[in-house]
Amino acid sequence: MMPRHHSSGFSNGYPRNTNTFDISPHRFQPRASTPAARRRRNLLTRLGIIAVVIVLIWFFIRPGSGTFTSLFSLGLLGSSGDVLMDTVRYYDLSNVQGTARGWEREERILLCVPLRDAEPHLNMMFSHLRNFTYPHHLIDLAFLVSDSKDRTLEVLVEKLEALQASEDPKLPYGEISIIEKDFGQKVNQDVESRHGFAAQASRRKLMAQARNWLLSATLRPYHSWVYWRDVDVETAPFTILEDLMRHNKDVIVPNVWRPLPDWLGGEQPYDLNSWQESETALALADTLDEDAVIVEGYAEYATWRPHLAYLRDPYGDPDMEMEIDGVGGVSILAKARVFRSGVHFPAFSFEKHAETEGFGKVIPIFLILQTHADSGFRWLNEMEAERLAKEAEEKEKQEREKKVKEQFSDTNAQWEQDKTQIQNLAKEAQKEREAESQQGSSQDSKAAADKVGEKSNNNQFRVEA
Amino acid sequence: MARPMGPVRLRRTNYLTLSIGAILCVFIIYFLSHNGSTSQPANVTRSATRKPSAKSSLIVERPPVRRFNLNNVTITPDPIGNREAVLILTPMARFYQEYWDNLLKLQYPRELITLGFILPKNKEGNAATTALQAQITKTQKGPVKDRFRSIIIERQDFDPPLTSQDESERHKMENQKARRASMSRARNSLLFTTLGADTSWVLWLDSDIIETPPTLIQDLASHDKPIIVPNCYQRYIDSETGKPRERPYDFNSWQDSPTAQEIASKMGPDEIILEGYSEMATYRALMAYMAEKEDEKHLEVPLDGVGGTALLVKADVHRDGAMFPPFPFYHLIETEGFAKMARRLGWHATGLPNYKVISLYLYIV
Repeated sequence: MMPRHHSSGFSNGYPRNTNTFDISPHRFQPRASTPAARRRRNLLTRLGIIAVVIVLIWFFIRPGSGTFTSLFSLGLLGSSGDVLMDTVRYYDLSNVQGTARGWEREERILLCVPLRDAEPHLNMMFSHLRNFTYPHHLIDLAFLVSDSKDRTLEVLVEKLEALQASEDPKLPYGEISIIEKDFGQKVNQDVESRHGFAAQASRRKLMAQARNWLLSATLRPYHSWVYWRDVDVETAPFTILEDLMRHNKDVIVPNVWRPLPDWLGGEQPYDLNSWQESETALALADTLDEDAVIVEGYAEYATWRPHLAYLRDPYGDPDMEMEIDGVGGVSILAKARVFRSGVHFPAFSFEKHAETEGFGKVIPIFLILQTHADSGFRWLNEMEAERLAKEAEEKEKQEREKKVKEQFSDTNAQWEQDKTQIQNLAKEAQKEREAESQQGSSQDSKAAADKVGEKSNNNQFRVEA
Repeated sequence: MARPMGPVRLRRTNYLTLSIGAILCVFIIYFLSHNGSTSQPANVTRSATRKPSAKSSLIVERPPVRRFNLNNVTITPDPIGNREAVLILTPMARFYQEYWDNLLKLQYPRELITLGFILPKNKEGNAATTALQAQITKTQKGPVKDRFRSIIIERQDFDPPLTSQDESERHKMENQKARRASMSRARNSLLFTTLGADTSWVLWLDSDIIETPPTLIQDLASHDKPIIVPNCYQRYIDSETGKPRERPYDFNSWQDSPTAQEIASKMGPDEIILEGYSEMATYRALMAYMAEKEDEKHLEVPLDGVGGTALLVKADVHRDGAMFPPFPFYHLIETEGFAKMARRLGWHATGLPNYKVISLYLYIV
C-alpha cells in the first residue's frame, strides 16, 4: 500500500508539478474562529437556558404565585376548568358502595346525631369524638338540633369549633353541618315520660321525622357509610366503626345494655328495638288499626319476639352475627346505598312499627352498654377490669341505685296510668273514625284494603345482604 | 490541521429539538413538584371523592362548622320573591337536545336552580353522559348570569333491568314492575344525595319532556300545594290527516276507584296494580282524560296517585321521608307509591288537568 502523504505528490496521488502555480485546491485550512452568525446563535441558546433555569428556580422559591404558574403551565385549561368545577360535580355511585376495610379505601362516613336538650351529654359525646380510631378526615359530622330549650346549640358549636381548631392534625373532622329545625315536639324527653307507653308512639314518629330530616339534608353522593349514634352513649369501643364495618353488612347494630348496680344483676338490656319477627307479633299487628305502632318492651304488647338484647351469651364470640327484622337507633352502621335506595325511618306506622324499628342485621354479642340518665355505658368484656379501675365511680353508683329504686317502684303505677290513657285514646279514635266514616265511605274501604295488604307486606324494610 | 474529506461530518445542532426538550423538562419538573394540588384539572370533575381530597385534608384542610337553620327555609307561593332554591331532578336514560333547550327556557333565576341527573352505567348511559356534559359545559362556561347554581351528575350503582329502552319494550306489562322498581331506586338515590339544607322545592322532570310553559316552576308553586302535577301530553302526527295532534301520555295521575281497591285486596303481597293496561281495568278517574278547557289553566283536582313526568314537590315532603317505594307499597310502586306514602305522612297530591307539558313523541309500533 502506498502511503498517501508523499513529498512528491498530493494526498490524492497526483504528482506535484513544480512548474505550475500551485494554489493547493485540495487543502482546507482550519477555521481561525467561528463565524459571527453562529456565535450569536450560541449566545442566544445560552441565554435561553439561563432564563429557563431562572424561571424554574422562581417556581421553587415562590410556589404560591398561582396566576403566573398556571399561565405558564397550560393554566388556560385549568382556570376555565376551575369555574366549571365549582358548579358541576360528577359522581359514580358504584365507587361508594362500602367495603369491609373502608379506611384503606378512604371511604367517607356520615355520622348522624339527632340532638334535643342534650347539653349534659355533650361532654361525653365529644370525648368519644376525639377517640374514634377511624381516620377523622374521612368522617363528616351531621347534627340536628331540634326544639331545645337549653344551650345545646351554643355548646355544640363552641366545642366543634374547638375540635376543628385543635393542635393535633388528626383530630379535626371532615365536613361538619349543624341543622336546626323545630318540629314543635310536645313530648318531654325525661326517662320516665319518654319511655312511658302512651307517649311512645308519637315520640317515635317525631324522632323518625327528625332522623329523616337530618339524613336528607346531609347525605351526599360521596358517602359510603352512614353511622347513627345517640348522644347519650357513654362507653363504646374506640374502634366501633371499624369493628362494625368489618362485618360488611348492609345494616348492623351492636347490642346495647345498661349497667345496673350489682344487686340488680350488673347490667340490663336497654335497646329493645332490635328484634326478630314473631308469629305473635304478626297476629297482633292484624288486630291493630292502621296508625298504631307496636312498641317493644311493654306489657301491653306481648309480642314474644326474640330480642337481640336478651340473646347474649356473656362468654360468646363478640363477632357472632344474627339476623334481625327491626333495629334500635342507638348505634347503627349502614351502607349509604341502603339509604340511597330509599330506606328511611318511617314517620308513619308501617307494618305497625315506627322510627328505627321499621327499618334491619345484627350481632347480639357485640356489646355496648348504655344508661340513659347519667352513667355507665360500657364494653362488657372489659367490664371487670374497669370496675376495679373506677372505684371512684362507686359513689355515683350508689346515687344511681337510689334512682333505680325510685324508678322501679313506680313503674307499675306508670303502666296503669298509661293503660288508661291508651284506652281513652282508643275511645277517642273510635269516635273520630265513626265521624269520618259518615263523611267519606271511600276512605274506610281503602283502609280495609290497606290492612289486608299490610299483613303480607311485613318484610319490606328487612334489608337483604 | 488538515481534515480529510469523508462521510463523517459534524451534525448541526437542531435548536427546535433543544427548545422542545427544555420546555418538556420544565413541565416534568413543574408537575412533579406541584403534584396533587393543581395538576389534575381534567381528572378532577370525574373523581368521586374529589371534594375533600384526603391527602391534603390530612395536612391543612379543616372544614369550618357550617350551620343551617331549616326553620328559615321558606316554601311559599311566591318562590322568586322569597328567593327560594329549586332542585330540578332528572333520571336520564337518553339525552334529548329538546329537553335541554326547554330547560334553558325556564324563566326562573338560574342562581337559585340546582340540577341533578342520574344516568345508568351502560353504553347508552355513557353516550347520554357525554352529550349532557357537552351541553352543561357550554352553559356553565357562558356568561355568569346564565349559569346554574350547581349541577350534579351521578351514575347509578346498579344495572337497569332492561337492556332496551324502546318504547314498546319499556311499556310491556310484565316488564313494568322491574323497570319501575329500578326507576324508584334511581330516583331515591338522586333525591337523597342532592337534597340540600336550603332547598325549598323539588321539581321532577323526565328527560323526555320537551316543552313546558317557561313559567312552569312559579306557576306550579303559586298553587301552594305539597305535591302538584301538570298534565303530560304527547304530540304526534296523525297518520290519516297528517296534522300534528296531542294525546294524553302519563296515566299515573289518578283518583282511586273502588274497583282498584277491590283488585288490590285480592292481590298477593308482592303484586302491583298498573294503570293503562286493558288486562287490568281499574276504572280509576285518570287526570289524563280530565283536560277540558284550555283557558282554565289553574283548575285543581285532588289525586291519589301521581306520575313523575313533571312533578313539583315541597322539599319538606321528601324530608319527612316520602320516597319512591321500590317495592309494592299498598300495591303501588314508584311515583304512585310516593303519593300514597306522602298521604300517610299527611301530605296530599293535587293535579292540574288543564296545565300541559309535552313529552317527546316516540314511535309506537
